[in-house]
Amino acid sequence: MSESFPVEELPAALAPLPPAAALRPGPVRRIGSFLLRNPGGVIGATIVLCLVLSAVLAPIIAPYDPLHMGAGRRLTPPSPAHPFGTDEFGRDLLSRVIYGSRLTLQIGLIAVSISLGTGLLVGLVGGYSGGWVERILMRGTDVLFSFTDTLIALAAVAVLGPSLTNAMIAVGIAAIPYYARVTYGVVLVEKSKPYFDAAVAAGAGHLRIIFVHLLPNVIPPLIVVASLGVSAAVLAAAGLSFLGLGAQPPSPEWGAMLASGRDYFTRASWIMTFPGLAIALSVLGFNLLGDALREALDPRQRRR
Amino acid sequence: MTGATRSSARPVLAVERLRTEFSTKAGLAVAVDDVSFELREAETLAIVGESGSGKSVTALSILGLLPPVTARVAAGTVRFGGRDLLSLDRSQLQDVRGAQIAMIFQDPMTSLNPVLTIGRQLTEAVVRHEHLDPRAATARAVEMLARVQIPEPAWQIGRYPHQLSGGMRQRVMIAMALSCRPKVLIADEPTTALDVTVQAQILDLMSTLQEEFGTAIILITHDMGVVAEMSDRVIVMYAGRKVEEGDTVTLFDNPCHPYTRGLLKARPRITATFGPGRSRLQEIPGVVPPLTRLPPGCRFAPRCALRVEHCREQPSLDEKAPGQRAECWESHRMQAESTA
Amino acid sequence: MARYLLKRLLSAVVTIWVTTIAVVLLIHLVPGDPVKIMFAQSQSTTPEQLETVRHNLGLDRPIYEQYAIYMSRVLHGDFGHTIRGDQPILPLLLGRLPYTLALALSSLLVATVIGLGLGFLAAYKRGTALDSLCMVLAIGGVSVPVFWLGQILILVFAVRLSWFQVAGSDWRSLILPALTLGVTNAAVVARLTRSTMIDIFNQDYIRTAWAKGLPARTVLSRHALRAGLVPIVTILGLQFTYTMGGAVIVENVFSWNGIGRLAVQAIFQRDYPLIQGFILTFACLVALVSLAMDVLYAVLDPRIVHV
Repeated sequence: MSESFPVEELPAALAPLPPAAALRPGPVRRIGSFLLRNPGGVIGATIVLCLVLSAVLAPIIAPYDPLHMGAGRRLTPPSPAHPFGTDEFGRDLLSRVIYGSRLTLQIGLIAVSISLGTGLLVGLVGGYSGGWVERILMRGTDVLFSFTDTLIALAAVAVLGPSLTNAMIAVGIAAIPYYARVTYGVVLVEKSKPYFDAAVAAGAGHLRIIFVHLLPNVIPPLIVVASLGVSAAVLAAAGLSFLGLGAQPPSPEWGAMLASGRDYFTRASWIMTFPGLAIALSVLGFNLLGDALREALDPRQRRR
Repeated sequence: MTGATRSSARPVLAVERLRTEFSTKAGLAVAVDDVSFELREAETLAIVGESGSGKSVTALSILGLLPPVTARVAAGTVRFGGRDLLSLDRSQLQDVRGAQIAMIFQDPMTSLNPVLTIGRQLTEAVVRHEHLDPRAATARAVEMLARVQIPEPAWQIGRYPHQLSGGMRQRVMIAMALSCRPKVLIADEPTTALDVTVQAQILDLMSTLQEEFGTAIILITHDMGVVAEMSDRVIVMYAGRKVEEGDTVTLFDNPCHPYTRGLLKARPRITATFGPGRSRLQEIPGVVPPLTRLPPGCRFAPRCALRVEHCREQPSLDEKAPGQRAECWESHRMQAESTA
Repeated sequence: MARYLLKRLLSAVVTIWVTTIAVVLLIHLVPGDPVKIMFAQSQSTTPEQLETVRHNLGLDRPIYEQYAIYMSRVLHGDFGHTIRGDQPILPLLLGRLPYTLALALSSLLVATVIGLGLGFLAAYKRGTALDSLCMVLAIGGVSVPVFWLGQILILVFAVRLSWFQVAGSDWRSLILPALTLGVTNAAVVARLTRSTMIDIFNQDYIRTAWAKGLPARTVLSRHALRAGLVPIVTILGLQFTYTMGGAVIVENVFSWNGIGRLAVQAIFQRDYPLIQGFILTFACLVALVSLAMDVLYAVLDPRIVHV
């Protein structure tokens, strides 16, 4: 049986398609195009952007000084002069809410930085080292995790004393186990893959393995956790401030504003409405963004 | 081996011009495009093709098991028992599934519910379809386990899937499927996830039971060896279309479609790779086109050594030999070459 | 099975033990002199009085002695006395605990019913408008601060409409707090349930169940729900701890007399012995519930028991 057949000139329409790899855009483009098709993600990103702009441009866009008592009469309802009304000290609520966005962003960034930095370190070292170091670190993380965030935050504030900074630290410490666990999980998975042994056998040094192999795989899930973590941190810190254990008056932090508005809210409900809405919207924004990121970056959830 | 060709001419199941579409991010993918075939009583029909050829989707379309939002059957009919299965409502379809047409799947570990006992999963179908009481249902379950040659069936009833081996799990799947004596059994790659030695046992088992129960089998596979061993007739699918069909023996001897021939030649053979004059494994160059970006005309043409200008027009399904049909303009040339 | 439970029991004991260490160390982490801080708010305390307190609390002894003293007291049921009012701590905590438990359990009930229902429905009807609606509600519920929702509910239902009361101790005053905490909790449960059930609905064995011609109610209950029980119980177990945390805030919003309210007062008053007692009690409670969850898993998932 003859093995060769006459091969005709290839008509252009029948030219083979380009190799599959060239058709897939890189991860950045994928995230971008996904976010565009996912309305939740777009809304979330917009809200976060507004929050950032509000924080950065606060001195420019706020009509009054947030601490200025007597900017208007006390407890006036929303009006053209004061779109959000005034509080019990005559301060303009709109300005306070705008300046509060700075604190909100601060809280989110600082708390998450603490959790992320420490958790990443613990998870990496624990997962990579093995042996008793791993056991101690991860058991410690489990124990910390079983304490629940609330308890840790309360204990931290109890020790350090009520203040916004301490609340941020408390909330940051409380969330460490989440980041540590996620990192640890990824490290374990990567360690079990064949390429890991190959890299070690080829003589790759510890730092190289960590930075070139482990870190790139750890980052995507951590981004998701961090995005959702910002919203959790904001809620937790606002809660602490509401209890009086976080930001102290006259700080325009939204949780503290809710706390001081408690006594007046039957007469002047706007004092609680607007800061509360601000918190809810910001948290919503980060949640939507986090969800969208999770869908974009989680390899399991991606469809063909 | 297949044994004598079953001579009954009555089709038990007739699929006509089935078309199944998936909406994907990259656009509309037609996974099954204008596919028709018949299944006769007590015969084994193999559907063979690469991954992505649409063979599994065809089976799922017949039983209405496609994922709800992304997939739909766009056209065609599936005639069974005097009715079109595609037009039945939910509860009518439930009466057919399990009792008249049963299906077993590729991976028995994931296809069995890990938190329910084997016995429970075996009895539910008979309880639902034949309304047996628990005792009678359990007795039937034990009997079926014995038929699929599982040792100590009465004890196995109380065990869980993870406690059984892969081969035993697949036997349980077969027992489950045949417990209501269905007229048709659809087996989607039943041996792919199993060890080679176990594969042979399972295929043997299926043949034996087929003779006992007179069940017609649609056997979906990518393994030409399994096709040769088990089936009476074959359908070859490529990128969603049926490109060739015919009686197994003649199709193996004399394929009429270049893809079929490529599949046959791609099987590793001892004589070809060892000894003097050893040659390389024949492969079909190129890859299956994505279903969302199919070439115009014959889908196989980009990979076909026989392609000509005419191939830009979709070939029709022509009878190339008695009982054998293929979608190719150049079959005659292929056969001429092979006899040269 | 026995080995598994033994391991879990050991785990719980270790957690509690570590808590006691942390609790004793806590006072020493306070920047400055804890005793002075404790009494910072009271007008006249002489240095001798401060010394007496310091001695009673064992703060003038080395750390390991302090730990030994504390542990022996605790194991005898003596959690010490509050700085303010000199009340015995353990009875105080135990007296308030039932209120917190009532709040936690009733809100957990609300959260389970609403959350599981919504999540299950959304997963079953995945990709449809109903799914989107459920998820919009859920993400809204997750984003709303509990204390804000509580205040609004008070304003609307208690003040304006006078349907419910607040600041009492009976079950009628429990309704609004339980609803508040329950609704926010339900949102979390709904999201987690949805993703769990979507995973399960995608499993091959569900497809097998459909292929057998089983009716929808059988597939959903006997196959899907049953298979989902273990992850769902995990979710609910986590929700208990989450609820306990939320209870602290809710109790303060609604002036509900549980240990959460007590804890916040203690922090304000820098009542360290009380804070220590609270932490220990809270941690023990959570550890016990986790252990109960672990026992439940063993019962529900045959893969754990019949290895």
